[in-house]
Amino acid sequence: MQMAPQMGYDRAITVFSPDGRLFQVEYAREAVKRGTTAVGIKAADGVVLLVDKRITSRLVEAESIEKIFQIDDHIGAATSGLVADARSLVDRARVEAQVNRVSYDELIGVEVISKKICDHKQTYTQYGGVRPYGTALLIAGVDDNLPRLFETDPSGALLEYKATAIGAGRNAVVEVFEAEYREDMNINAAILLGMDALYRAAEGKFDSSTLEVGVVSLQDKKFRKLVPEEVENYVQQILAKHRGTENKE
Amino acid sequence: MRPVSQRVNAKKTHENNTEFGKSTSELLILKPEGYPLSGMMDEYPVIENRDVFEFYAREQWNGYVARKGDYLFDRRMFPDFAYRIIDVEPAESIIGSSTSIIVTEEENGLPSSAEIKSSVKFEDVIGQELAKQKCRLIERFLEEPERFGKWAPRNILFYGPSGTGKTMLAKALANKTDVPIIPVKATQLIGEYVGDGARQIHQLYDRAEEMAPCIIFIDELDAIALDRKFQELRGDVSEIVNALLTEMDGIVERDGVCTICSTNRINTLDSAIRSRFEEEIEFVLPGAEEVFRIFESNVKTFPLQVEECNFRALAKKANGLSGRDLVEKVLKTALHQAIIEDREIVASKDFENALAKLGRKDPLQGPSELYI
Repeated sequence: MQMAPQMGYDRAITVFSPDGRLFQVEYAREAVKRGTTAVGIKAADGVVLLVDKRITSRLVEAESIEKIFQIDDHIGAATSGLVADARSLVDRARVEAQVNRVSYDELIGVEVISKKICDHKQTYTQYGGVRPYGTALLIAGVDDNLPRLFETDPSGALLEYKATAIGAGRNAVVEVFEAEYREDMNINAAILLGMDALYRAAEGKFDSSTLEVGVVSLQDKKFRKLVPEEVENYVQQILAKHRGTENKE
Repeated sequence: MRPVSQRVNAKKTHENNTEFGKSTSELLILKPEGYPLSGMMDEYPVIENRDVFEFYAREQWNGYVARKGDYLFDRRMFPDFAYRIIDVEPAESIIGSSTSIIVTEEENGLPSSAEIKSSVKFEDVIGQELAKQKCRLIERFLEEPERFGKWAPRNILFYGPSGTGKTMLAKALANKTDVPIIPVKATQLIGEYVGDGARQIHQLYDRAEEMAPCIIFIDELDAIALDRKFQELRGDVSEIVNALLTEMDGIVERDGVCTICSTNRINTLDSAIRSRFEEEIEFVLPGAEEVFRIFESNVKTFPLQVEECNFRALAKKANGLSGRDLVEKVLKTALHQAIIEDREIVASKDFENALAKLGRKDPLQGPSELYI
């Protein structure tokens, strides 16, 4: 019997390539790029999450496509990537939040829950017979009167951001944020900035029926999703703004 | 054409006399064929020094009119050992002091030049202005290479989605200029054994240098210029890439040789190869206006009448299709539909149907509902 002459460094996740890369984990990050854009922005008085959903057919009930989830009273998460993996991670996060309540009789910290999720993702890059999660999470919430926003990626890496995006339109959105993000924005301004960035990333396909917005404000420390009328209101402001600039040109 | 010299060669083949017919042959490619009869003493000649052999061969076959397929017999060291002429440039020219002689075992070791025979013109390639501009520069260079000196265009890369006119533009360039273009399919350069690839690349450039000024056009470059990190996939990647690297810009200067390469997978190219290209020209999918012009110019060549129809509206719907898709999948399908139904006129409905058939394909690859 002849052995296979070359090593396929992308055949097993637990095998490093000679230059130190884990190709399966990198491919999992590509899965995240196949999802639509999700945006998170910290404001002075809270933190917001915005997503743009993809509706493949008019027969689909748009509400059944979930991209923003509530994890606990004070924490929400937006996802991009494989739907099923995202739901599985969200379920896990919800359980962790409850475990923390029962064990310590207090709300779980945003950083703590992000790290727990990342620890879990990390094990799926190190053991044989499994595959990494093909999804990234933006975890937003309020800790001790501070807005927090974490991005977790399929490798289990964790970073806190002032404003970030995951999914297909990431680069376009981050470009807008680099130029226009200010730390003293309020929630209202943050939502408008996020929508503006999504508008520019979407290249014309912009519609309130596919947008979802979640907010955690410092005031009540409660996560809530905006109702469609509120979203529509913001969308109209963005459309008006862009109509104005186009006319000037 | 040259009656004098032809008469000469019939009788005085191996007379060493340079007066007979002046040398017109530029390049002669020979393949050793062996002896006409086999015997005990047959020795197989091995060429030890190419330059010496060239001199030796020129001298004994001086004045001979070389025709493709003819045999030349060695008369001195290995009497009656035969070489077959597998290629000669220009055709039916006279061997003499200016002839370069290459001996190769390969029947088709070197792709022959001037294979690109087509009526494609620059104007037929619609859009892609940047690329056309560069081609005009190359054309200018080939007209007067002296003027450019060391600033000559050397290596240019065309890239972009398939069907956007990369190969077509190269054909148009070949058509426009008189200088030889050596079209090479990259897959042709790989060869059967490890070592073949590198050798064929060197041979290609050797030959190009002899023909300079000339253009080498390598289609589907990604087949031979794969990033060397893919060494695991195929054992000879490094070797081929290194050969190409040294030829494109190496120790030996190849004056007057301009290389144009095309690929639709630019990301898999080796970074060192990419740095050799002074310019990477992107071919883009046509916009609505270009689609309209592609429709207009191609419909004119239809063998059937075309019903008056709104190509502008059609062009808007054909967004995202490449030039080839438009011609092959929309126009051709519509025309064929009309022919099969025995109609004399291609109706606008035919175009719409052909387009609709294409539109049914999912623009996103893979099941998009798995991702949110």
